[in-house]
Amino acid sequence: MINLFNAGLAVYLGALVCAVVYLMSSRRLFDILANILMGAGALMQTIYIGIRWSEAGRAPFSNMFESLVLFAWSVAVIYLVLRLQRNIPWLGAAAAAFSSLALAHASTYESAIKPLMPALQSNWLTFHVMTCFLGYGGFAVAFLIGIGFLVSDREASSVKPETREVLDSVMSRTISFGFLFLTLGILTGAVWANSAWGTYWSWDPKETWSLITWFIYAIFLHCRFMRGWKGRKAAWIAIAGFLSVLFTYFGVNFLLSGLHSYAS
Amino acid sequence: MSEQNQAETPDTIEVGPSAWIIIQSWLGSLKFSLSVVLLIALACIAGTVIPQGEQVSRFLMKNPGPHKGLEFMTSVGLTNVFYSWWFAALLGVFSLSLMVCTLRRYRMIGRSTGAVRVRVIGSFITHISLLLVLGGGVIRVLWGEKGVLQLSEGETATACESQTGAPMPLSFVVRLVKFDLELYKTQDPPSGDEQDVLYVQWPEKNLLVPIALEETNTPVVVAPGMQAGPDSTFRVKVERYLPDFYLDAASGEAQSRSTMPNNPAVYVSVTGAGVTNSEWVFARFPDFTRHDESGKKMRMPLQFRFVSGGVQSMMGRSQGPVKAFKSTVEFLENGQVMLAKTIAVNSPVTFRGYTFYQLSYNPEDLRWTSLQVVRDPGVPVVYAGFLLMMAGLTVVFCVGPYLDDKKKGSGTAI
Repeated sequence: MINLFNAGLAVYLGALVCAVVYLMSSRRLFDILANILMGAGALMQTIYIGIRWSEAGRAPFSNMFESLVLFAWSVAVIYLVLRLQRNIPWLGAAAAAFSSLALAHASTYESAIKPLMPALQSNWLTFHVMTCFLGYGGFAVAFLIGIGFLVSDREASSVKPETREVLDSVMSRTISFGFLFLTLGILTGAVWANSAWGTYWSWDPKETWSLITWFIYAIFLHCRFMRGWKGRKAAWIAIAGFLSVLFTYFGVNFLLSGLHSYAS
Repeated sequence: MSEQNQAETPDTIEVGPSAWIIIQSWLGSLKFSLSVVLLIALACIAGTVIPQGEQVSRFLMKNPGPHKGLEFMTSVGLTNVFYSWWFAALLGVFSLSLMVCTLRRYRMIGRSTGAVRVRVIGSFITHISLLLVLGGGVIRVLWGEKGVLQLSEGETATACESQTGAPMPLSFVVRLVKFDLELYKTQDPPSGDEQDVLYVQWPEKNLLVPIALEETNTPVVVAPGMQAGPDSTFRVKVERYLPDFYLDAASGEAQSRSTMPNNPAVYVSVTGAGVTNSEWVFARFPDFTRHDESGKKMRMPLQFRFVSGGVQSMMGRSQGPVKAFKSTVEFLENGQVMLAKTIAVNSPVTFRGYTFYQLSYNPEDLRWTSLQVVRDPGVPVVYAGFLLMMAGLTVVFCVGPYLDDKKKGSGTAI
């Protein structure tokens, strides 16, 4: 099974190389190759997750290794869905780099299937983690676009204003997607906590940081829809929001203890 | 109030309504609402990075002495952020602001059309849902109950201990019938099987006979090279088996704490060579030797060693994590069992409005359980809020953009 994991990582790295070559050479063949490899990588990961699910007899979303695999998968899938609608040339390279990095980091953790502690033995595990990571995936893509926007918005940049408009619009939509799924993730987590411990909210560090992240993106959406915030301001909030996502995901696991300590 | 009236009574006009309008416009302004959200977010950050509640007590126990910074933070509620008066006040102001914003959106519904109207409806539903969630929280604080119930097997209780330490009476009786702990099997048992074996040793004759426990009704031990006779045959019988041996202090009777092989013991009687004897043999304590009343070691040529498959298995699994812990309880009213259920983590049981959750157990005493008892009338309100929130956000982020794109003809809704 680990071979499939490594193959997925290798294919994402191949997609990254092709996407970079495309950016440098503008040869369409490399763009096609990069997207085919991204699709192949996502497919390999889907099979890997499926096999692991079958072997473990439960959703493989219970520790750092498994969640990083899911994170890489969600970013790749969200990018591929976006690619069907918009062609943002450098986004393929950024998404491939992100997924490769996530998988490479995952490989530093114990990959053996471990038995679940009683609190995690629930169907809510699947819904809660899946929805959270789809949300995180949306925010990660929005973060990549936000950085791309800031780079393209420099005075020296040759990027057309229309392209920046597209970037801004896609960033807003991926944040909306992420917000919808993060909300669903927080709510399913609350329902799960209530069935496990009799309290839907206990101000656990992970819960609290999820709420902080939710607030940041809620502020983004309000500013955008009610004050028309676009461009650089929106890009900076997208970046700040994703830093909060990263702290919620990594920082809380390693720096703060709480109900989610098993995730570290 | 009309302009004419204002002119006639200049000292009393406008104060009430205009003040309300000002407060309303202030509370409902985006700047104010988002500022409150930002303050709550900052308070949340403080609540996660500054030690809270018990963490502070533990820190002070480890590091006694004056801690001026900590004392200051405690005095302003920073070491108990989420239960401080000012955090509750922030949530209160947030709720007020939310109410005004919700009212504004309600008014906007009538003034908008098409996809915008759909988005406004979605936004209105989302804001209502947030109010429901906050309202459910208020109901919990005002009318909810929460306590902990600790029981040993066979014990009953009519009250549990609330969070403040005060007794929380229940209108029924709860009895713990049984507590079960299951462990994951992470390693194979060392012997390859999990059989209980009684080894009968006759050191003087260099004899060792293994006997499977279930076959020890009337075995006969004969030393090699000897004729079976009164000095060489023994009848060994296992009279009792207790997986988790303990001596009841009150009755002096040997009993089992649980069905888990935590301290397996067999009561062996042996007859032969003109002697009849009985003794307890412990799997975990093979060197345990009973002495007779004179303090001398009992005279018996045979010695026993009990190897418990359960213990072997447990030792193999000793590093294995807990798979499940369950409490089988009965709820009684007027001496009648009204409900008998097993409570496990993620599988609570509700009786007469109280929900019982499996909280913890005592690894040193596996007859003991700890249950969380919760009565929270706010949960249905909160869950209604959750459903409405997802409905509202789906309308805002899916239906609205879909209608926009349909109008434009591009069909690229995310």
